[in-house]
Amino acid sequence: MNFEFSLRRTLSIAKKERFHILRDPFTLTMATVLPVLLVLIFGLAIEFNVKDIGLTVYDSDRTLSSRKLTEVFISSQYFKIKSTNGSIIDAISDLDSEQSKASLIIKPDFEHNLQSTGNANTQFLLDGADNSTAGVIMGYLSGIQQAASFKLKGQKVKPAIELKTRYLYNPELSSPWFIVPGLAVVIIAILSILLTALTVAREWENGSMELLLSTPVQPIEIIVGKLIPYTIIGLAGVMLVVLVAIFGFGLPFAGNIFLFGIGSLIFLIACLAQGMLISVLIRTQQLSMQIAMVTGLLPSLLLSGFIFPSESMPLFFQRFTSILPSKWFMIISRGIFLKGATLADLKLPFLSLIILCSILILAATKKFKKDLEP
Amino acid sequence: MTASEPTSVSVNNLTVKFGDFTAVKNISFTVQKGEIFGFLGANGAGKTTTIRVLCGLLTPTSGHVQITDISSEQGIEAMKSKVGYMSQKFTLYNDLTIEENFAFTASLRKISKAKLKQRTKELLEFINFKKPINTLVKDLPGGIKQQVSLAASILHDPEILFLDEPTAGVTPVARALFWALIRKLSSNGKTVFVTTHYMDEAEQCGRIALMRTGEIIALDTLQNLKDNTFPDPLYELNPKNSMPDDLLQNLRNNPSIASVESYGMKYHLIVRDPDKWDNVRNEISNYFDIRQIPPSLEDVFIRLVEGDSR
Repeated sequence: MNFEFSLRRTLSIAKKERFHILRDPFTLTMATVLPVLLVLIFGLAIEFNVKDIGLTVYDSDRTLSSRKLTEVFISSQYFKIKSTNGSIIDAISDLDSEQSKASLIIKPDFEHNLQSTGNANTQFLLDGADNSTAGVIMGYLSGIQQAASFKLKGQKVKPAIELKTRYLYNPELSSPWFIVPGLAVVIIAILSILLTALTVAREWENGSMELLLSTPVQPIEIIVGKLIPYTIIGLAGVMLVVLVAIFGFGLPFAGNIFLFGIGSLIFLIACLAQGMLISVLIRTQQLSMQIAMVTGLLPSLLLSGFIFPSESMPLFFQRFTSILPSKWFMIISRGIFLKGATLADLKLPFLSLIILCSILILAATKKFKKDLEP
Repeated sequence: MTASEPTSVSVNNLTVKFGDFTAVKNISFTVQKGEIFGFLGANGAGKTTTIRVLCGLLTPTSGHVQITDISSEQGIEAMKSKVGYMSQKFTLYNDLTIEENFAFTASLRKISKAKLKQRTKELLEFINFKKPINTLVKDLPGGIKQQVSLAASILHDPEILFLDEPTAGVTPVARALFWALIRKLSSNGKTVFVTTHYMDEAEQCGRIALMRTGEIIALDTLQNLKDNTFPDPLYELNPKNSMPDDLLQNLRNNPSIASVESYGMKYHLIVRDPDKWDNVRNEISNYFDIRQIPPSLEDVFIRLVEGDSR
């Protein structure tokens, strides 16, 4: 195969694609509204720090000590207390009916035990059906336990080994700080895969592919020409997310914005190439769109480490996620955004991303059939 | 082969297979420069596949194709510069203007700006286009779209033009205009290769190839096709009123009659034995108005394509 590349043909494809984008309200809307919508939904709606947890307290001791214990829960400000005077059954049925996430059951001899032995047990029931909330509550409990001991016995319990914890990079463990840099990844992935998945399929459906193929144009020229305008749209989307992150959610931008830009660009091209590959293989727009959703949206939301850390996945999935460009860019994005990581820190993610990107472009070009075999 | 005009297209033992399916079976033919060559056949007969091979859009499974002085072995890309192709589907971009569509096609074919300007002017005059050139293609009426599409496909001034059902779905008036353009191209020395479903269009072709299930079953001028297919006289039977139920069956079984085909309310009857025909004619003249007619291309088509497969 004689390899011929013409810049003029490539640019004229890019120019033609620009007309399509500017004259198609759907593409334009998708390119501008979708990032904004996603930033709002994910940035504002997702909160990992659970507050106002429903807590049913069944206090059968009714002493000064048991009331102090309840107060500790109240003053932690994580819980919304609902007291019940009925029976222990009520405390449990509140969990069944989702009115509470947890129940605190204080036995009648609570104060007596505390004063006579210096040790008292109390029961804490947790709704394990929702294990993410349960996990968060568990995290609060150790602090509450310490506060309660101090309040009830007037002394601090000294554990044998004390870990002094300090949170780096996100000192307040703020959810938007964690979410928004990752959101850049998700937005680029969805937008670019979805937009490009349609472009080649559309040419097949409209029959204009026959016009293209009856000219001397080369597959690489079509692929690259079509990538150019979408890259520009994608970069605009990234910029939007970064601006919202800094000015809307008050994130610090710790690293080098230029390095972040380069990372975004490589990732963007990888995603666009993935969309192009889908579009080249599947010649109908509707099916392309569905496949783009499944291969673009799901992995970047679920497997990239956006919300669920890939370290906690089974070994197979940990390995598997390494072929996802979104996983690598997730590391790059969070690293540069919050930690101020340098290129030296991010050697592996950058290298992986470049390799994946090249493979995808190559595959799309190779799979681009130049004949019309059905 | 006539020596007067050089060969424009030559196809030798062309076969195209898609998996197990053979779309084109070992066909051979040649087309002279300036000829209007018609390709006729039902859907799936292999017309479009053949055209796509000739345009360099499909690689033949076996066989040899030559476009002017370039053979398929010399590479598909070289062939593409010699041919223009207008496919069944409307291939211009609806959301681009005529000017943008032309400029796009021109840049893919590396036509210079000056040449594009000159060709655009020529071609718009050629198709007698009066609207502004920055009209969006989607705002054009169907017939005009087709003409603009034709103009776009000959922007690079190809020697051979392939038209795959160019007039599907346009009005009869627009079809007539379009054929006037085809004839004009032919008289300018361009070879036009056209597939169609319309019999009246096929009758305007210099020579016609009939395709059925991947094979060319007849190839000749219209007159020769008619003479060869209908050496015996053809009669049209117009029913007067009611006729006995078994009359048609009896006619079909009569050894002196080759066939009786229904054409709408009428029948076309082909005589096998002219000596005995007069007797038969007298017998059935009570039921039909009978007149001898020249065969139309449709008769030829039905006899060759459908009559054969019965």
